[in-house]
Amino acid sequence: MPKVFYVQPDGSERVVDGAAGDSVMSTAVRNGVRGIVGQCGGSLSCATCHVYLAADDRQYFDGPGEDEDEMLDCTASDREDTSRLSCQLVLREGVDVHVTVPDEQT
Amino acid sequence: MSSTNFQTTTTEPVDTSYPFGPVTPNEAVRRYVAIAADRPMTKMTMPIGGDVWVIHRNAAARQMLGDPRFVREPFRTGKRAVPYFVEFPDFLKGTLQFEDPPHHTQLRKLVQKSISPKRVRAMRESAVAYAHQLIDDMVAKGSPTNLVPEYAVALPIQMLANLIGVPPADRPKFQKWSAATLAVANMPEEELLQNMTELAGYLTALIDERRKQPREDLLSDLANAPHKDESLSDGEILTIAMLLITAGFDNTANFICAGVLSLLKNPDQLAVFLEDVDGVAPTAVEEILRHGRMCMYDKASGGGGLVPFVATEDVEIDGQLVARGDAILVDPASVNHEGRAYPDGDRFDVRRSDNPHMTLSYGLHHCLGAPLARMEMQVALSVLFTRLPGLTLEGDPVMDMNNLTTPIVDLPVSW
Repeated sequence: MPKVFYVQPDGSERVVDGAAGDSVMSTAVRNGVRGIVGQCGGSLSCATCHVYLAADDRQYFDGPGEDEDEMLDCTASDREDTSRLSCQLVLREGVDVHVTVPDEQT
Repeated sequence: MSSTNFQTTTTEPVDTSYPFGPVTPNEAVRRYVAIAADRPMTKMTMPIGGDVWVIHRNAAARQMLGDPRFVREPFRTGKRAVPYFVEFPDFLKGTLQFEDPPHHTQLRKLVQKSISPKRVRAMRESAVAYAHQLIDDMVAKGSPTNLVPEYAVALPIQMLANLIGVPPADRPKFQKWSAATLAVANMPEEELLQNMTELAGYLTALIDERRKQPREDLLSDLANAPHKDESLSDGEILTIAMLLITAGFDNTANFICAGVLSLLKNPDQLAVFLEDVDGVAPTAVEEILRHGRMCMYDKASGGGGLVPFVATEDVEIDGQLVARGDAILVDPASVNHEGRAYPDGDRFDVRRSDNPHMTLSYGLHHCLGAPLARMEMQVALSVLFTRLPGLTLEGDPVMDMNNLTTPIVDLPVSW
């Protein structure tokens, strides 16, 4: 079962068991992880599930597509090289994912 | 419509008929829990447009709202009347919320950037400053006062003017016109029509000006879309602006009022809020969005709903077949209180963290102005209760029951 490690801006960490095929966003929303809203349900139209993906975990995912790239310009917290929309990070067996929740997620 | 009696664990039978007439808010929540435990949705006959499935379960609502097989095209084209409590005005049926992909995606993208979390974040400081200014004015005039025009409506209208790009000098008349779009002041129809016509004329001239001399605002963004295939006609821009005005301040003003009332009626929760205003404001706002309307009235009825969709093929949701051509909508009050999503849904809890409410909808039609509404509510409540922690009600709030959104028009308070 893949695990997701959510680190809050204050450094506190919460580990949640995910399921292959679910996204990092839906796993967060279902478990009430603070700071990940995901209001459009993953249809790339709200920019409220922004996270910073750990550098070591980038190897497990393709880079952002064109629509995600555009939405990453709209996030509340500053965009960084590791910025992703967590609705686009799909979990798979045997891969744990580490993300940091940004300061402000309006 | 079902009328099965559902037995809860309290051994007291609960009436699971839907829709249901006015009952106490606690009884309404008991019924929502029992109805959702009994079935995922109910077929209901609307005063206009015939039958519609009304979804009661949170997970079923998410499934429907995330499924592209549910569309709004037949409503937009006029092929079908929208099954609802009132007739939808034509101008609303021509807006973004009745579009489906791919046109919806194209239009939404154009507006998205102007109202994105990033842009809203940049507006927060000015919202805080304006909230303080409004309170300064209120305090100078002295208590008691009606919080609705002095604060709850004034703040979102100011923010909307900033967002759209209305020059400061024009704001008083813009405020008058935009307030009239929902007849907040209960004005006669001729006067309402005149106000809306003036507003449309004003916006058309402003669109023209922003096309020639763009600034950093929504009208400039829309009038100067970067790609040729994205460019919009003045009429299309006007429709978007009018939709934002219609949706953009009245709902937020109502939720600010609902927040004030919820906190005043739950002093234990107000104390929690005041202990750490900035820390608690985000979750408090979500809880007000979920449960606030239950704190506004002595009675609650079961039968509300968001704008419906039509199934383009047979789809099974949570064990219920929704046939091709069926209309379907979500009752937000029901999905915001049902037992699986909210084991203690009758409680107003400003620190509630797992709060999957659907007041602002979900999926690609979720509220475009959600980041702005959230920010305004957080700012409005934080500044109000920080500045005036002794705020008290000076009488019963008055609602305009003749208006579609049943806004609070009088919220008498002192400090």
